[in-house]
Amino acid sequence: MNITQDYFSCYGLPCSFIVDVVALRKLHHSLQHQHHPDRFVSAPDSKQRRAVQITTYLNQAYATLSEPLQRGIYLLQLEGMDPLAPTNTQMPMDFLLQQIELRESLDDIHLAQDPESKIDSMSALLTHQASQLESEFAQAYQASDLSVAETAVRKLQFIVKLQQQLDALEGVLLD
Amino acid sequence: MALLQIAEPGQSAKPHQRKLAVGIDLGTTHSLVASVRSGQAETLPNSLGDHLLPSVVRYLADDAPQVGTKAQAHLVDDAANTVMSVKRLMGRGIEDVKRFGENMPYLFEACDQGMPFISTVSGLKSPVQVSADILRALVQRAQSSLGGELVGAVITVPAYFDDAQRQATKDAAQLAGIQVLRLLNEPTAAAVAYGLEHNQQDQGTVAVFDLGGGTFDISILRMEQGVFEVLATGGDSALGGDDFDQVLAEWMRQERQISSQLDLAQQRFLLRLARTAKELLSEVETAQLCFEGWPGEQVYAELVLTREQMNALLNPIVDKAIRATKRALRDAKVALGDVSRVVMVGGSTRSLLVQERVSDLFGQPLLNDIDPDRVVALGAARQADVLAGNQSGDELLLLDVLPLSLGLETMGGLVERVIDRNTPIPVARAQEFTTYQDGQTAMAIHVLQGERELVQDCRSLSRFELRGIPAMAAGAAKIRVTFQVDADGLLEVSARELTSGVAASVQVKPSFGLSDVQIADMIKASWSNVEDDRSARSLREQQVEADRLVEAVAIALAEDGERLLTSKEQQTIEEQMAQLVLVRNGQDHHAIAKQIEIMAKASDTYAAMRMDDSIKRALAGKAVDQL
Repeated sequence: MNITQDYFSCYGLPCSFIVDVVALRKLHHSLQHQHHPDRFVSAPDSKQRRAVQITTYLNQAYATLSEPLQRGIYLLQLEGMDPLAPTNTQMPMDFLLQQIELRESLDDIHLAQDPESKIDSMSALLTHQASQLESEFAQAYQASDLSVAETAVRKLQFIVKLQQQLDALEGVLLD
Repeated sequence: MALLQIAEPGQSAKPHQRKLAVGIDLGTTHSLVASVRSGQAETLPNSLGDHLLPSVVRYLADDAPQVGTKAQAHLVDDAANTVMSVKRLMGRGIEDVKRFGENMPYLFEACDQGMPFISTVSGLKSPVQVSADILRALVQRAQSSLGGELVGAVITVPAYFDDAQRQATKDAAQLAGIQVLRLLNEPTAAAVAYGLEHNQQDQGTVAVFDLGGGTFDISILRMEQGVFEVLATGGDSALGGDDFDQVLAEWMRQERQISSQLDLAQQRFLLRLARTAKELLSEVETAQLCFEGWPGEQVYAELVLTREQMNALLNPIVDKAIRATKRALRDAKVALGDVSRVVMVGGSTRSLLVQERVSDLFGQPLLNDIDPDRVVALGAARQADVLAGNQSGDELLLLDVLPLSLGLETMGGLVERVIDRNTPIPVARAQEFTTYQDGQTAMAIHVLQGERELVQDCRSLSRFELRGIPAMAAGAAKIRVTFQVDADGLLEVSARELTSGVAASVQVKPSFGLSDVQIADMIKASWSNVEDDRSARSLREQQVEADRLVEAVAIALAEDGERLLTSKEQQTIEEQMAQLVLVRNGQDHHAIAKQIEIMAKASDTYAAMRMDDSIKRALAGKAVDQL
């Protein structure tokens, strides 16, 4: 196993935003079967260390390719771009305004009469927006329109962050 | 000399050709050892036929220590030299032990490695040594009943065990001369014991509900193609069947209007009565509790407890476990209906109420036909058999996760997360930091584990220093800190300054510790304290900002304050600075932020003056054409 190759190559997949996540998991498991440190418990130290290195790499690869946001960022990084650079802060105004609105309604959820249904509807909205951005990215990337793809992935990052905060809020409210 | 071993073609390996490997459940109250023989995992008894070895060690002045039932017999008459429940001390510091060790009759002595020693007639014993003595007894039992040397063992640990506790467990095995094939999480072991991977219709998501005497663990696993993958673990390390007994004992006390000032023997009496009632009500609907012999009570004073009454008393405790279960499902992103199997582990899952509630929650029957006291050791034995190479190898692979987040201390006592909990292991992550002061040549690295935002609320795993950083302006150095967690969940941290290549690394060893209660907090409180943490974080951030500003202005004033400012101007700045120091030491982060703004405004003109002044001085005595 060459751990310097890109994550797509290690699973024998083409470089693409479209990934069959279930198939990827099966590939990942079969590679783990071959390389996991459990297979080398009585092997010499050097082989055990190598197994830890390889499975660390595989876990990173799987985590990157199985999540659309990470996958998108990674595809752009392979093109030599850095969508997460701290200098990269330009965002369209309407998008930012919409974000502020969403954030405000997130902050107000705990005041609502029925926070659970608010959470559900907001979650549905975010899921919808995320899938739109994902197809936007997929199209732009396919057409090698990388700057459009970059904007889509940076927008997606905002949405994913909101989803995480919503999840955390749900945890607190339901406990 | 090795003998040539011959087997008939197609015949499976004979018992003596198998590598002998065992699974060990190193428990708080009792421990077990199990092995796979003729394809079946079984726990191994001692010569008297006992499977459970009480986790008790008695130290003698000039003889080998006694382990198990023999030692247990001396818990009262030789309390100081008879150590029980040592698992609770593993990986803990003297401070924690002082806190919860009050009920332990031992003499503790601090030592420089963090874990306390217990003073016995045979000298100072660390919890690691005591655990090693238990492990030795188990290995001896295994070797005499299996008839050979062991190649190694799989040892189980609670899923919520942090790095220090895992490391201490591994150290104990090393001390006992055991090759550790793997540290395995107890709930994972239980799932393995049921052999679900053999059955096609059992493929899917498995929940393991593990309620012991004092702890609760919930794990969500996914199984497919012979891979057992832990999706999330959670729980409450201060929730268990002991709480049931406490609640019932308290109810009896109130019903009988007994004073709350009870001596130890009376407390034990009530608890024992509570436990008896609890067990009885698993079989009958009504229990009559007899207070015979209780001071001031008539001989036949009786108290009736129905199953329904008991359930009402116990429900709030079960609720806690149910909530933790739902939280773990959310972490795993698994819906209740997607769970295809529910495995019950731990003595307290014998409770009918627990069984009913869990079965109702998941809407399906439970898997509990393997003895809940043995199921963990049996699973560990199966895994040991696989790891030793006795099986084809393609059968079973366990992929585990990090139970608690790992991070580093940053400015102002905040924790910067480096690896989130529930990340599959092995894993490596790097984070870059920089220097805070000009000319800083060393950096202290403080490694922490836990879910909270402040250093003081997390567990301190290790501190080390990266030295020899070349002197640079603040913020110019690039220090990359890398965390590597191996398949046992053990951490190694290394740090490197990227521009110079200076490096340091440390294998994280137990240093400080936390009490059980704090551990519970680390998991639980991260949820309930989200708000507190957020404002605590804002407070620290503003404090750091205030300190920076005060320091910068103070240095400037000392340098050229008198030269550039009128005494009135200087006074105004100093007053605002004093005000900032005042609010900085308070608790209101809004007030600090406001004062920082005022202070910044007050010193703005001064900053501009200094800028002009330094330009003037740079230009002084130079003709325009020289520039």
